[in-house]
Amino acid sequence: MQVAELLRFLLYPTFYAGMLRMMVPITLGAVGEIISERSGVVNIGLEGIMMLGALVSTYVGHFTGSMVLAVVSGLVVGLAAGFLHAGIAVNLAGDQIIDGVGLNLFAVGIGEVLLYLTWGSFATSPQLPPEVRVPSIHGFSPFVVLTLLVAAATWVVVEKTRWGLRLKAVGEDPVAAEAAGIDVFKVRTIATVVGSLLTASAGVFLSLDWLGAYTKNISAGRGFIALALVVFSRWNPLTALLGGLIFGFLFQLSQSIPSGVVPDQILWALPYLVTLLISAGFLAKARPPGAVGRPYKRV
Amino acid sequence: MAEYAIEMRGMVKIYPGGTVALKGVDFAVREGEIHGLLGENGAGKTTLMEILYGTRSPTEGEIFVRGRRVEIRSPRDAMALGIGMVHQHFTLIPVFTALENVVLGDEPVRSAGLLDVQAARARVEELMDQTGLHVPLDEPVENLSTGERQRIEILKMLYRNADILILDEPTAVLTPLETKELFAFLKRMRGEGKTIVFITHKLREVKAITDRVTVLRKGEVVGTVDTAEVSMEELARMMVGREVLFELEKKPREPEEPKLIVEDLWVRGEGGDYAVKGVSFEVRGGEIFGIAGVEGNGQTELVEAITGLRLPDRGRVLLAGEDVTGARPHHLYARGLGHIPEDRHRRGIILEFTVAENSILGLQRLPPFMNKWGVLQESVVRDWARKVVERFEIDTPGIDAPASALSGGNQQKLIVGREIMKDPKVVVAAQPTRGLDVAATEYIRRTLLRMRDEGRAVLLVSADLDEVLMLSDRVGVMYEGELMGVVRPEEVTLEEIGMMMGGVRLEDIKSGGAKAEAESTGG
Repeated sequence: MQVAELLRFLLYPTFYAGMLRMMVPITLGAVGEIISERSGVVNIGLEGIMMLGALVSTYVGHFTGSMVLAVVSGLVVGLAAGFLHAGIAVNLAGDQIIDGVGLNLFAVGIGEVLLYLTWGSFATSPQLPPEVRVPSIHGFSPFVVLTLLVAAATWVVVEKTRWGLRLKAVGEDPVAAEAAGIDVFKVRTIATVVGSLLTASAGVFLSLDWLGAYTKNISAGRGFIALALVVFSRWNPLTALLGGLIFGFLFQLSQSIPSGVVPDQILWALPYLVTLLISAGFLAKARPPGAVGRPYKRV
Repeated sequence: MAEYAIEMRGMVKIYPGGTVALKGVDFAVREGEIHGLLGENGAGKTTLMEILYGTRSPTEGEIFVRGRRVEIRSPRDAMALGIGMVHQHFTLIPVFTALENVVLGDEPVRSAGLLDVQAARARVEELMDQTGLHVPLDEPVENLSTGERQRIEILKMLYRNADILILDEPTAVLTPLETKELFAFLKRMRGEGKTIVFITHKLREVKAITDRVTVLRKGEVVGTVDTAEVSMEELARMMVGREVLFELEKKPREPEEPKLIVEDLWVRGEGGDYAVKGVSFEVRGGEIFGIAGVEGNGQTELVEAITGLRLPDRGRVLLAGEDVTGARPHHLYARGLGHIPEDRHRRGIILEFTVAENSILGLQRLPPFMNKWGVLQESVVRDWARKVVERFEIDTPGIDAPASALSGGNQQKLIVGREIMKDPKVVVAAQPTRGLDVAATEYIRRTLLRMRDEGRAVLLVSADLDEVLMLSDRVGVMYEGELMGVVRPEEVTLEEIGMMMGGVRLEDIKSGGAKAEAESTGG
């Protein structure tokens, strides 16, 4: 009886609307990373790219008052981060992990410094004015629609098009792809940049749609959860969407259960614990693209 | 019409490390001929052809295709000129189907870049019918045999309308029967006006299939000759620069008691299926027992199970009378096993370690190399390393040089030397001369014979049929995880060995060809 009372929130549409929104950043990040990893490039800087997307769009929104400029600037950051990673990991054949770590650390640092220098707070920016925030359409965030479309479109591109076949070829065996006449560097660069762009759009969602501000640790590990989701999904964007819904449910659940029933900390930790289980359970069995993480060099 | 389909002039290739692979090579292929490119490992054959195919860039030199000067910067450029290549290590995407692999890079599409699978299938099926090369199109390539994979590579070239075909050591992975089929196919292609470059180091194949042959040695052209006008001996001399010893001296020797016994061994491969299915044999002291067969028929897993690197499911392994089934490698080494592993870089040596460090790998925990406090005794190690280097004539800048500074032949001598210095009762040698030059090969083979003469039991696993037949006292032929038969090299014909390699049991061969044939076509 009491349990039923506690779980009443499951009956209200608002719970599911919230769950859909919670799905957005993780799924966008995961689908972006799937595109990148399918080409053989790992980008563990998802977390940092999300943060930078959120930070820059908040800044531009705050100072220009324009939602369009705010969104565009956040995406430009994604492009820039993508080209940076592609430059290092693809063209210079550098270590794919190190620069991702660097990006994550940089994003945390620059966010805190700018918050303090601009607004005198280590914790949060002021709320953005309503005209800068991305409006809901019939109660639906446009980002939810975008996410569904992106996941579906990515699946079609990867599985059904010429470009998808070449993407997979490059990620499985770049030497063989090159021998078949494919420009490995071009494909990997495009995939990396598109992946980064999608991840940055997740950051834009966090600041302009979800929170309406930039706060310290705004992404709260969602970039890393997205990485786990890539493995869980076995590099399939539709499965990633499904996984994103599960995580959306868990995040929304952890916020919906009234406090005092279960210790809050355990509730908040729920999505992260599930991430851990997924990583431990699926990593061993999953078969990643053959050349993932391996730079390609011509002799 | 230009006389030459391809002409390469003054080709020089210097690798980033400073290795000079080609020292000004001139190479010309006539329209419509099968042209052999003969040479030892490291002679520069593959490098020369990879430059022509655009996967490597030349340091210097000019390329003419049908009389026209061209720049080939990538395989795309080569394909546009009608040049196709089948690499020695196949360039197929393992998880893709045969169909996907064939059309990759030149896929038929409908609007919006959507793949037109029906059109792709129709075109490839038509090509298969025209050429007689058939493969299952919807199977992932990783599930197909090496012969089938090679057919896919050839289809891939022809799908792009290549009329200059380069094949790099195409028979290395084929059974004798498949080789025969390939040769027939190449002759048919020549009849249709295709130009073919055939890279090989096998003299017999040059004689069998080529019209002309260019011999390379150490990055230089020794000569280009009409195949019909040279003998195998002359070709051999051109290739190695001296007379080749086709025969090694093998003294007759009475074998002693069995030192390695394998009983009904069942071993699973990577995929979980059985790669070794109930293999039994024994190797006696003073005997070399050879295992022949096309690669990938369970030899690797068999060796791994015997040397403690893979757990067998069933069966027993006895080493010097002791049951060592499933024992760990260090346990086996302590009981008198020496192992010359198949993949020398992964399992034989550590490239970044020095020669001295590599010379005691596997011995490092034993006295006198380590004292009771667990500290390595450097002076003992160095003395030991000097002994190994001296005794096995290893050409190295010094015992402190990293193993990566040694040539492949000297790396292998280091491994062989180390294993022999352990004074093993049983030696397992897997592909011991793969990739080595003639001198190193001969040295390793002599050493294996010496071990036999010293009364050790030697298990030799090699994909090189000549090697197995030359060295072994008895030979077992493996096919799909089973021994097709055990024979003495002097009592068997090449045809019989070839049939066993292709899956016909010895008893079926002996009991009459008709029955064997019926079974091999029926099964």
